[in-house]
Amino acid sequence: MKTILVADDEEAIRNLIVEELTDEGYRVIAVSNARDALKVVETEPLDLVILDIRMPGMDGLEALPRILGMKEGLPVILHTAYSQYKESFMSWAADAYVVKSSDLAELKQKIKELI
Amino acid sequence: MERLKGLTTIIMAGGKGERLYPLTRDKAKPVITFGGIYKIIDFTLSNCLNSGIRRIYVLTQYGSFSLDQHLRLAWDLMRPDLGEYIYSMPPQQIMVNRWYRGTADSIFQNLSLLQAERPRQVLILSGDHVYKMKYLEMLDFHLSRDADLTVAAVMVPRKEAGAFGILHVDGESRIVNFLEKPADPPGIPGNPDHSLASMGVYLFKAEVLVEEVIRDAKNVESKHDFGANIIPQMVGKKRVFAYNFHNPATGMPRYWRDIGILDAYFQAHRDLLGAEPVFDLYDREWPIRARPSLYPPSKYLYSGQSIIVEDCLIAAGCAVEGTVRESVLSPGVRIGQGARVDAAVLWDNVHIGAGAQVQRAIIEDGVKVPKGFTIGLDPEADARRFPVTEGGIVVVPNNVILEE
Repeated sequence: MKTILVADDEEAIRNLIVEELTDEGYRVIAVSNARDALKVVETEPLDLVILDIRMPGMDGLEALPRILGMKEGLPVILHTAYSQYKESFMSWAADAYVVKSSDLAELKQKIKELI
Repeated sequence: MERLKGLTTIIMAGGKGERLYPLTRDKAKPVITFGGIYKIIDFTLSNCLNSGIRRIYVLTQYGSFSLDQHLRLAWDLMRPDLGEYIYSMPPQQIMVNRWYRGTADSIFQNLSLLQAERPRQVLILSGDHVYKMKYLEMLDFHLSRDADLTVAAVMVPRKEAGAFGILHVDGESRIVNFLEKPADPPGIPGNPDHSLASMGVYLFKAEVLVEEVIRDAKNVESKHDFGANIIPQMVGKKRVFAYNFHNPATGMPRYWRDIGILDAYFQAHRDLLGAEPVFDLYDREWPIRARPSLYPPSKYLYSGQSIIVEDCLIAAGCAVEGTVRESVLSPGVRIGQGARVDAAVLWDNVHIGAGAQVQRAIIEDGVKVPKGFTIGLDPEADARRFPVTEGGIVVVPNNVILEE
């Protein structure tokens, strides 16, 4: 079973992702901030990370290179309500950039492409 | 000069320089003394200044204090309020928790700099090369080809090309293959007896550079090096061109040396000497800047025995009472009565005692060679006392005390 980490500070979105990806047959670990995400990356074997950008404290663009620093080959999807971060070089280190929507079809599609 | 506005310049200066040991045991390779009064990085920085480039990042790692100190003492001449700067950037451990793993990783770790500046092009230089280059001519070439990456290269005889990273180019100067130290180096179209050797001078379209260093950072197999990883990863997929660093009027390659090993360091000093040196430091069109000196003029003292000075570069503050030939003397060197120095590189404040003999040697700053002592005349005795290079050059580090 593939394991996916979701880091998002909005509980409703986190729950939606956990529910739908569990239905798809993934094991899902959910955290509400970037620091907890880094702890999980360090300790758990993961296949993919879904990372929100705007979170309290450390944001997703700060966490992204640290995740790569710990697990070079681990795919990361940036999942954000905002499209403007696509312009930032820091976001280019992600394997995909998905703008949030109530329909998770695009997110699921990207996951399938990456793992 | 308008096209300079979109250019960010980064000098790689963090390498350990192990093959220049012992000269690098307490300092970074780019701040090794060269040509009497310069540090090696002064050539690249002077090229920037002479090219109108006044915004420079120097990426440091090994021996970073020695570099910071030199940048402060010799290069504190930019005006930050005019948007000019020379900043040194050691690994900051902000973005990732590690040292620079290689040249490509050092750019990856500084992506936030590029994000803040959003340049159109990034010029990547090395802090340990001796050459004089108009970077704007390379920029014009890069723009005219709409290149993603332009690699500067010098022509070397094909027979000697096996020692270099060789660029295999087509008739349009596009790089079709990159070969590290090839057994059978490819010639240049129209010039089959020569090959193009990479100088380690790169000009990138900024966004392409960012994509490539990110791709490299995720590659577990990579050594994170521009030559070994980034160029091969781009060739055949991107617009990668070679810029032939030569004199179009004569067709000859221009002077460029990588000071990677002690023998290259010594040999490059030979290139500074003579009435028409291979590498001319007296070219007022392209001045090389050094740390300003407060030494008094040099003096040549007659004390009954004639003194002989032939074919030398002698910095300020020296006192010569003996014979010196084909040598390069840094400030404050003293050559005692009747002493003989041939083909030597003497750093600051080296004292050669009366009657001592020195030949084919590099002597570090402050070494006092006692009266009557010999260096470079007896290979066996030298090998017992000092490091001796493959080419037979004796290196005298300043952590030894020489006894009479």
